[in-house]
Amino acid sequence: MSNLLPDTFAVFILTHGRPDNVITYKTLQKCGYTGRLYFIVDNEDKTVERYRQNFGAERVIVFDKKAEADACDEGNNFDERRTILMARNACFDLAPALGVTHFIQLDDDYTDVRFKLPETTNSLFIVKDFNRLLASFLKFFIESGACSIAFAQNGDFLGGFDNGKGIYRFQKRKCMNSFFCSTERPFKFIGAMNEDVNTYSTIGSRGGIFLTVPMVALNQNATQSKRGGITEMYLRFGTYCKAFTTVMMQPSSVKVSMMRSKNPRIHHSINWDCTVPCILRETVKQNLLPTAAKA
Amino acid sequence: MKQLMMFGCEDEAEQKYSSKIEAPIYEPKNVKPHLLTLCDDYKTKALIREIEESTLPPEEKDFLNIAAQRHSVFHYERIADYYAHSTPEMQRLMEKSALVIIDFNAAIENGFVRLCDEIRGQFLEEYADEQPTT
Repeated sequence: MSNLLPDTFAVFILTHGRPDNVITYKTLQKCGYTGRLYFIVDNEDKTVERYRQNFGAERVIVFDKKAEADACDEGNNFDERRTILMARNACFDLAPALGVTHFIQLDDDYTDVRFKLPETTNSLFIVKDFNRLLASFLKFFIESGACSIAFAQNGDFLGGFDNGKGIYRFQKRKCMNSFFCSTERPFKFIGAMNEDVNTYSTIGSRGGIFLTVPMVALNQNATQSKRGGITEMYLRFGTYCKAFTTVMMQPSSVKVSMMRSKNPRIHHSINWDCTVPCILRETVKQNLLPTAAKA
Repeated sequence: MKQLMMFGCEDEAEQKYSSKIEAPIYEPKNVKPHLLTLCDDYKTKALIREIEESTLPPEEKDFLNIAAQRHSVFHYERIADYYAHSTPEMQRLMEKSALVIIDFNAAIENGFVRLCDEIRGQFLEEYADEQPTT
């Protein structure tokens, strides 16, 4: 198993109330991850001690959830902190004390990490050397200057690989679930619900770059079906509030719509052309294009 | 290319899975769009009209007028087309306002392609002689 990762990189698993069922930890072990790893747990979690027993106190990092909530824009007045928003922002505050400059935030429920190449359609090819994969992603993340990059999610590929125009599906500038981050390029997640979408759409609209690299996907259990953590909040307030949080934050290009699936539900709908500025080659800046028509 | 053979003959597989993987770089069109088409501020103007007709104090009107700008819809592909045919001064200010993002030294484009190559290389090595996990 390779280990090309710098000492200043770590995996942060953001978890709450599932000390005996951190599926992501088992998955990372299976795909050979040997680098630094921490469990980011909040101080309102009654199972903190159990996390320490299971994984070692030195790897369980506890943050003050109320303090983090007070320091960020929750996007509602529900006084409800059962959400991942605070943990996401806490990572930027916790990393320096750990000597970490670059990290990836992972949820606690990934069952596998798989290749998603056009030639792997309909077959399952699990990543065997996660160290090597992370090193490749980290290199691109650092060079790209992006606020964050992410793995795809397996569900992104429902409907196939092709976007209908002969182009590999999923060239969107979204970034969900797994976030490569740097303390040198900090940003603030916003909105207690739909925090990932709120963040990439609002910061993205101001020129921050968020990208998903679609050739690797994380697989999770079905969303809003697993008890504990944020699931409770979504069940309580409904997915309308979740989707509408992003509409409030980016009203010019996000709508609430119905997601047609086995379990139809309200979801956000992003008009990408009206959300993020285009990335252009440097040659365009140099005014090399001929002008066919003047305004 | 050995892996492709798992799914049938190579030609067949290439035909079936022909989707290109491209970096998210926008290629501007050769036509400069009209400035008025870059942004749709219909809703913004309607809101401002209503705000101005209200009896609210000036400072509240000012705030609401600024907030109304959030409803202006920017068409970033047209904006990128416009940028490509603009003067250096206009380009500089458009960049500063993050109306476009310039991929300096092709860091995103080349880095994305390199990353995709590395992932594919890792896949080919890890599954050189094996079947997919079931």
